Amino acid sequence: MADAACRQELAPLTTPTQVKRYLPLLGQGARWRAFGPATLLIAPLLIFLLGFYVIPMTSMLAQSFSWWSGDAEADGRATLYQYAKTLNSSRAMGAIERTFRISLFSVVFCILLSYPIALWLVTARRFVRTLVLVITFVSLAASLIVRNYGWLIVLSNTGPVNGLLVALGIVEFPLQLTYNESAIIVALVHYGMPFMILPIYGSLLRIPPALWEASFSLGAGTARTLWCIVFPLSVPGIFGGTILVFAVSMSAFVTPLMLGSPSTAMASQVAAEQMLVQLNFAWGSAIIITLTVATVLLVWAYALLIRRMFRVNV
Amino acid sequence: MSNAPFFRISLAILAWIGIGFLVFPVLITALASFNDPFFIELPPKSYSLRWYAAIADIHRIGEAVFWSLLIGIVSASIATVLGLGAALAIARHPLPGKAALTTFLLSPITIPMVAIGIALVQFFIALDIAFTWWSIAIGHIVLVIAYPVRTLLASLTLSNTSLEDAAASLGASRLMTFRRVTLPQLKPGLVSGFLFAFLISFDNYPISVFLVRGEITTMPIEVFNHISNNFDPTPAAFSTLYIVIVSLIICAAEWRYRIISLSLPKS
Repeated sequence: MADAACRQELAPLTTPTQVKRYLPLLGQGARWRAFGPATLLIAPLLIFLLGFYVIPMTSMLAQSFSWWSGDAEADGRATLYQYAKTLNSSRAMGAIERTFRISLFSVVFCILLSYPIALWLVTARRFVRTLVLVITFVSLAASLIVRNYGWLIVLSNTGPVNGLLVALGIVEFPLQLTYNESAIIVALVHYGMPFMILPIYGSLLRIPPALWEASFSLGAGTARTLWCIVFPLSVPGIFGGTILVFAVSMSAFVTPLMLGSPSTAMASQVAAEQMLVQLNFAWGSAIIITLTVATVLLVWAYALLIRRMFRVNV
Repeated sequence: MSNAPFFRISLAILAWIGIGFLVFPVLITALASFNDPFFIELPPKSYSLRWYAAIADIHRIGEAVFWSLLIGIVSASIATVLGLGAALAIARHPLPGKAALTTFLLSPITIPMVAIGIALVQFFIALDIAFTWWSIAIGHIVLVIAYPVRTLLASLTLSNTSLEDAAASLGASRLMTFRRVTLPQLKPGLVSGFLFAFLISFDNYPISVFLVRGEITTMPIEVFNHISNNFDPTPAAFSTLYIVIVSLIICAAEWRYRIISLSLPKS
């Protein structure tokens, strides 16, 4: 009977803060009754991720503080040896620097290409809008290998880009457009665009049409309305898209493998090469952890900056 | 929205440039797939469908597609079920640290895939279960879990809790309410979460390249090897076929379940 009463009492509580207010009034049993169903629902996934995500990632972290049989001079010093090696290796640092540069460019081009699409979608007719959104979704779902292969054809010596350049007389002979950094950036922008279009479109949809009208009726022109009203309100969407595009570009592996050359290796490739070819798991782990930590720090600093500049909660 | 014609026209032009960029390589690939000669010519001088028949000759493509389908379906199903539990717990029940939990559940998207692959292959070798199909499926669950969690959280936020209260007050048991009221409302989230989990798993290379050896192989690995070693238009035919199938699936899911509106952040 008391149990039933208690359940009734707790039924409408949905937020943790609401529950916390009641907890001191209730005993240990009530705490279980409040959080129990949720715990049972979420436990299988958390146990799975603990076993196959947290533990393997932690052991990789531990591995990065160890040494490889080939590191003769490091024997006996289980330390930051692999990280010092990463910072001193021109190949590893060059790859990490290149990864940052490529990711930065692909984010910028992604925003420039995606923002007009998102803004135009808001005004487009329903059929066209659905069509473009389906195209975006198919891009998101279509195989990355397939999409990179498309760029391999488009940028090839006999491809349409070179064909156009030669036909217009801009160049005499086809240019080598593949297997360099620009080709990687082009393919990464193509990969990242759906991740950018959807959040920006989502944030633009939430701007009430009345705001546009208010701005116009108060005498602001189109440019001013866009810059002072629409753009600041779409910052959360740009932020979300930027984080996703930056993260997928930073961890790019297949794209530089297909469209780059050994001299344009990105960080994931250098780490994978250490593990698959040299079987040097310690150094490979250190490289990939350096990359991950750098990415997380950058994203965090970026979030802080956006919060300060636009006073939005992102 | 502004009515200034200059603004409207320039915006439409900029938008179509972006959409053209998105579609262009796909159209060129499709055109290249109808080439007759061994080396791709654009535009093709003579047309043929023989490279579509040549898809069957890609090394081990049959078994690769079989394993990819099996691993994709198993990992997407398990990820959807586990994600459903987690999403229900986060959206419908009191639980401490919800924001942190959500961030944790979505984190595999932002971790470099190569890192997940490397960490898992070492772990599986230590447990002596590496290079089995189900250990690959486990790796893929970690990879795709964020997709069903995200779409199900979105559809739980959109769905109407008062319907559940109504069912409960009319005497339905909790199980009955869940089965007859909550679950039907979650269908778009379930379909879209499962679909994306499956497609991401089916297409994965960076994790599979570490987890796959010997007996087992997957579609992306064999197609990637083919592209690296050959210059014939077979991959173009394969790509075109792949895009057509994915487009049909997405259109069907959108037409039946309206999955697109779910992926637009609402908060």
